[in-house]
Amino acid sequence: MAAISLAKVNKHYGSLHHAVKDVDLEIADKEFVALVGPSGCGKSTTLRMIAGLEDISSGEIRIGGKVVNNLAPRDRDVAMVFQNYALYQHMSVYDNLAFGLRNKKVPERDIKAAIDRAAEILGLHELLKRRPRQLSGGQQQRVALGRCLVRNPLVFLFDEPLSNLDAKLRAQMRVEIKRLHAQVPTTSVFVTHDQVEAMTLGDRVVVMRDGRVQQVGTPLTVYARPVNRFVAGFIGAPAMNFVEVTVGEGKVSAPDLDLAVSEPSGAALQRYRGRKVVLGMRPEHLVLGEIAGRSFEAAVEVVEQLGSEILLEARLGATRITVARVPAEASVASGDRLRLSVPPGRLHFFDPETDEAIAGS
Amino acid sequence: MASGSRPLFGEQQRFMLLLVLPAGLLMLLFQVVPIVIGANASFRDWALYNPKKVWVGLAHYQAVITDPAFLEVVLPNTFLFMVVSVLGALALGLALALLLNRPFRGQKLVQTVLLVPLMVAPVIAAIMMRWMFNDQFGIVNAVLEGLGFEGQPWLVERWTAFGVILLTDIWLWTPWYTLLLLAGLQSLPREPFEAAEIDGTSTWRVFTHLTVPMLRPVIVVCVVIRAIDAFRTFDIVWTLTGGGPGRSTELFSLYAYVLAFLNLDLGRGSAAAMIGGLIILVVGVVLYRVTDRIAKA
Repeated sequence: MAAISLAKVNKHYGSLHHAVKDVDLEIADKEFVALVGPSGCGKSTTLRMIAGLEDISSGEIRIGGKVVNNLAPRDRDVAMVFQNYALYQHMSVYDNLAFGLRNKKVPERDIKAAIDRAAEILGLHELLKRRPRQLSGGQQQRVALGRCLVRNPLVFLFDEPLSNLDAKLRAQMRVEIKRLHAQVPTTSVFVTHDQVEAMTLGDRVVVMRDGRVQQVGTPLTVYARPVNRFVAGFIGAPAMNFVEVTVGEGKVSAPDLDLAVSEPSGAALQRYRGRKVVLGMRPEHLVLGEIAGRSFEAAVEVVEQLGSEILLEARLGATRITVARVPAEASVASGDRLRLSVPPGRLHFFDPETDEAIAGS
Repeated sequence: MASGSRPLFGEQQRFMLLLVLPAGLLMLLFQVVPIVIGANASFRDWALYNPKKVWVGLAHYQAVITDPAFLEVVLPNTFLFMVVSVLGALALGLALALLLNRPFRGQKLVQTVLLVPLMVAPVIAAIMMRWMFNDQFGIVNAVLEGLGFEGQPWLVERWTAFGVILLTDIWLWTPWYTLLLLAGLQSLPREPFEAAEIDGTSTWRVFTHLTVPMLRPVIVVCVVIRAIDAFRTFDIVWTLTGGGPGRSTELFSLYAYVLAFLNLDLGRGSAAAMIGGLIILVVGVVLYRVTDRIAKA
């Protein structure tokens, strides 16, 4: 049993910098949670407080029901994977893997068994005699994973483990971490600034900004029902398009734009009737062609052919740039004027002052 | 244009040669020329009262390496001094660097105060020490007697005198080690230590299995530089004991100095210096090889 619970956790650096603000988070046993946000949002600090590498200014952290605020890292039974691997460069891979167990004076025979098992899972057998600097980045990160695995800890902590790898390797390691978690289900907290990693790995995603938790939910929830404009813009790539519109009777409008609004957004929007709100449309939800009452005209400026799809940068009205993802086969060229439509239920609305979502969908 | 008429060096190379020239000339004048003169002198019978400079071949060399004082006192003293001084200051310097590597109130002040010995001229330090260990008026004996112990004639007996020399040298050089090792410590990546902390590694094990191996390149450089330097130590021994009592604390450089400039036998003094130069060359290369292998292991 190793649920993690954070209650009103704060971190101050000196009197000026308030890095983590009142973070409340419940992580279930064996759950994989991804903390995601732009750099400086407090996600790494939160992780390091769970690990015990940073003091907690106020609040309470429990691991497996036990308050760990004043426990040294070694007494928390956690294992951590670092962005730059943090391997012991002067030791062989085998000795790197054995180091934590030798600390606990585990008999060499048991150490060998544990390393064999980890090497089996991670495919490290060939590498055991080598030195870390003789390995590629991906191999080094696998060794770092192995070092955590052999200790069989209550909790795995990942601090941007894939950020130093190139794009292809990153995708590969992502799958490996996912497979590892399926094979060895252990409570895991994964910090990343990459929303794709967070979405693909996390059972739940925690979006942070400026030291505060913005939204906690399954990947699909944060994608489909972002609670505010920040989450909506952060999750999803390319980012959501935002257009300022005026709320009318059953529709919203802006110059060159008139979109019908269906229930339930329509009801929620009634409070804003005659006022401005921010309309959000995801690029992948914009389709080519006409849907009655749900279309607008746009002028194509840039066409990015990706092979699997096309990214269009199109100008809507005088100034607003909108991105759309359309099928690769579509014949569009820059300068074209074309009709883009949004199917029902794909519109998001945000309060222009608070940025909070106005009953989405 | 015919390629045959091209100058020997390109413009950039000529510019580089020009930049190197002053240093090269200085080195030639003050290093190479004296070495050549010294080497020449070592093969000749040359004393101030006998300036004919008769060629005697290897006679001086033979005299030096068969001199019991050289073999049984000077060489052992020199190597003992080298080993104890280098290792002693290394151990103390490392300890201080580790202490300074963790933040505490007044760290900057302590760091500055620690550097004071580096700013003291060795001769001044030696004179200071000589007075401190003076058996009549020295503060060391005064304190010892105040505590009810008996004062010691520190500089009058071989091993206590040698101990005072070592103490002085270690005192002088510990800050140098501290400075370099502290810089080394601060350049080490933080994450392996955090990983070790999470892995539940004891402080001692972190020190022996992480800190020291990771610092090894810095330690190697320190040891090699200091070992070669220690071999040539002259000033503090000369000031503290003058090689005495008798010749019992004489180091290699004193031996050569006494031969050349007190006995005025410039030929034999040069031979001694050449032998010393050869020894330190060999010792230096071996030390470098060995330590370099350790560092890369």
